[in-house]
Amino acid sequence: MKASNAFKMMLLLSMVITAFTACSGKGSDQTDSGAAKSGESKTETAAPEGPLSKYAEPVEVTEVMGFRPAEDPRTPKGLTPDKNAYLQQLKDMLNIDVKYKWTVPSDQYEQKFALAMASGDLPDILELGQKDYEKLRKQDMLADLSEVYQKYASPELKKYMESDGGFSMKVFSKDGKQYGIPSFEDPFLSTQLLWIRKDWLDNLKLEPPKTMDELDKVAEAFVKNDPDQNGKADTYGVALQKTLFFWGFDVRGFFNGFGAYPSVGDAQSAWIKGSDGKLVPGLIQPEMKQGLSMLQSWYQRGILNKEFALKDENKVVEDITAGKVGISYGEWWYPAWPLNLNVDKDPKANWIAIQIPSLSGPGKSLVPKLRSGRVYAVNKNMKNPEAAIKMMNFYIEMGKKKYTDTLRPEKGFVYNWFNPRIYNPAQIETIYTEVNKALEAKQQEITLDDENYTLVKDVYNYVKDYQSGSTKIASKGTNWGGYFSRVAENGGWGLTRQIKQNQAFVNNEFYGIPTATQVEKGSQLDKLMQETFTKIILGAPMDEFDKFVTSWKTLGGDKITEEVNAWYNEQAVK
Amino acid sequence: MKLLRKEFPLHLMLLPGVILTVIYAYGPMAGLVMAFQQFEPLSGFFKSEWVGFDNFTYVFNLPDFNQVLWNTIVISLFKMVLFLVVPLILALLLNEVTRRWFSRFIQSAIFLPFFLSWTVLGGVVIELFSMDGPVNGIVKSLGSEPIMFMLNNDWFRGIIIGSDVWKGMGYNMIVMLAAITGINATLYEAAEVDGAGKWKQMVHITLPGIAPIIILLSVLSLGNVLNAGFEQILIMYNPTVYEGADVIDTFVYRLGMFSQQFGPAAAVGLFKSVISLGLVSITYYAAYKYNNYRIF
Repeated sequence: MKASNAFKMMLLLSMVITAFTACSGKGSDQTDSGAAKSGESKTETAAPEGPLSKYAEPVEVTEVMGFRPAEDPRTPKGLTPDKNAYLQQLKDMLNIDVKYKWTVPSDQYEQKFALAMASGDLPDILELGQKDYEKLRKQDMLADLSEVYQKYASPELKKYMESDGGFSMKVFSKDGKQYGIPSFEDPFLSTQLLWIRKDWLDNLKLEPPKTMDELDKVAEAFVKNDPDQNGKADTYGVALQKTLFFWGFDVRGFFNGFGAYPSVGDAQSAWIKGSDGKLVPGLIQPEMKQGLSMLQSWYQRGILNKEFALKDENKVVEDITAGKVGISYGEWWYPAWPLNLNVDKDPKANWIAIQIPSLSGPGKSLVPKLRSGRVYAVNKNMKNPEAAIKMMNFYIEMGKKKYTDTLRPEKGFVYNWFNPRIYNPAQIETIYTEVNKALEAKQQEITLDDENYTLVKDVYNYVKDYQSGSTKIASKGTNWGGYFSRVAENGGWGLTRQIKQNQAFVNNEFYGIPTATQVEKGSQLDKLMQETFTKIILGAPMDEFDKFVTSWKTLGGDKITEEVNAWYNEQAVK
Repeated sequence: MKLLRKEFPLHLMLLPGVILTVIYAYGPMAGLVMAFQQFEPLSGFFKSEWVGFDNFTYVFNLPDFNQVLWNTIVISLFKMVLFLVVPLILALLLNEVTRRWFSRFIQSAIFLPFFLSWTVLGGVVIELFSMDGPVNGIVKSLGSEPIMFMLNNDWFRGIIIGSDVWKGMGYNMIVMLAAITGINATLYEAAEVDGAGKWKQMVHITLPGIAPIIILLSVLSLGNVLNAGFEQILIMYNPTVYEGADVIDTFVYRLGMFSQQFGPAAAVGLFKSVISLGLVSITYYAAYKYNNYRIF
């Protein structure tokens, strides 16, 4: 169940990004197809062996896909993934025909893919999670991409892969052979922040909390003192959904405040360096107990919703939107979704981000060493493995300025129906610096001209609309969300990069693929954890935690700890 | 030989059914070899390593297994009994209703939820029993604290059983009603002449008259003793009620689909089938012996 969280996280991020690309068609509509045509003609004359050279004969590539409905309302009705205009563009530029073996709505993907793996009916290009990657690599099903990557990867793709010193690429190679091209990002995107309603604080004349004690008082006041001043006791303190360690609306950041580092959002434990230099599982450290007992008290006092254990993320988002809750732990992107929904509903709503409170002042968030939810691999039996690399080049190429007017949603371009997609790992930092630079210089347009153009331009447009109060293209909440998540100095990414500079973080040291015992016992240990922790929060005695630690260890936890340390000694890049 | 020739067209007519059964019921049984293998999907049945009964020992030694088995048996036994008793009472009551339109209306109303899927009904039930739901509305109006039905192991099991019986009772009720209609009306007339009231008529005519159907239904349901209702529970449960509502099927589902431990998952499946086969054989034999009822 939990293996999919990283994947969901990626999907969610894609969604957030779409929120920006959603409005890309504005502005210079007149110069429409000219740029596109010149782009195509250039590639046609390119050298036959280049990163974007067109095949003389059509090459067929098979893929599978779990898709979400196209988010942009201007997308033509009834469009299906196999009619995505990106595919036609790909055919025109590279003469590659993508054929889908099957496409299903994304919530069925995991199951369908497991069945496809079970029956051995795999497509040419595979989008994999780490577990499946490891499985297929061990069974010798994946092609070695070292050669085709060296030969065909575009300069941009190479630049991306080297942006972390080749660290992520190394994770997905074995014995000098490259089996996967990871789509990775800045690990600090996972930094936990505390999102809190400033207008509620102001109504109650409270300061933003710096310590756990202060947070406790604020949260209680949010329950008892009618922070929205509507005369009804209809608010609660902290948003939480049933999966305790998730990709949002969970308690990862909360525990970090106690110096406990249970999880990176996956159900698996996080691994931190113990005092003896060995890696220890954060999930079972004594600090956890203190956190759990505070959650228990929060539950009793109504700071947590009485039925959080039944709520999934959608229900929690409903509560946030309806202005029923004023505090949530989470990452930089909250303003873009779902806080924007609340701002649209209640113009007075004013969310701010603060560094997570700890027992003594602002605390340290857990940050992974590697943040990669997806890796692209190629079936060993594929005849043209270089086509996969070329398709990655193609997607990056399409971000350039000259294609802006081609990629219009009305024409059926749906970016997240295209695979493989590799993003600029430093994308968010590029957007932050470029947009702020443009704002300072009071530019009308973005002058940047590389493959990041589209993204930077989209965010810049949001920011300008937010500042001028224009709601012609998007609602106030959406504009604010774009601004406050990516550009504002104290907003989502702004605060995150301050935390990065101040070194206020603890690393999750384990970034390898799940160990044998993790694969085997993972879901069982996860069930044990979910069950025990939920019960403790609902009021079970605290000794349950000690019992949990003992069972966790004997049920495979000790073995996992051994394996993780073996991995750390042999394979970790130190 | 002569007989065979005479019956040949009949055998021919059986053929499509036999072929379908072989393909869809017997064919997949070959997959049971997985239960004895360290099954790797891409190596297939032929290259996966044979491990004997390791998968079985592994599964039976999982700390959750006893709990899961117990839950399954408790939930399904309650369901089995109620699926006989409740429809029987309903059928007997409906049989006494003299206004046709009223009896038809009630029949349809009871039968209706049978056709809805758990995906829909699961959400409805969760909402009904939530803190702000109508059931708690009644609880509150009676002056009690609202109850967290879906987070409480005792209540949750009851809700699982109750809602499944409510959803499915219409089917057995219709079967029993049909059987009651089949009873010879002269028996009732004779009883009336002898001075038997409605109650006596029911006990001495109606019940014995539909006994074979009741036995048939219970024999059929015994084969399901290890099926506690996968879809329903999967949709309605949550970590707090694992203790009382995690059943074999949800357990296998997590084992197979999420941990991708196909071998152990197949082992549990085989275990279930063997137990069910045993139970069906026993009840079938008992029904034959004591009631002279047989299908073959």
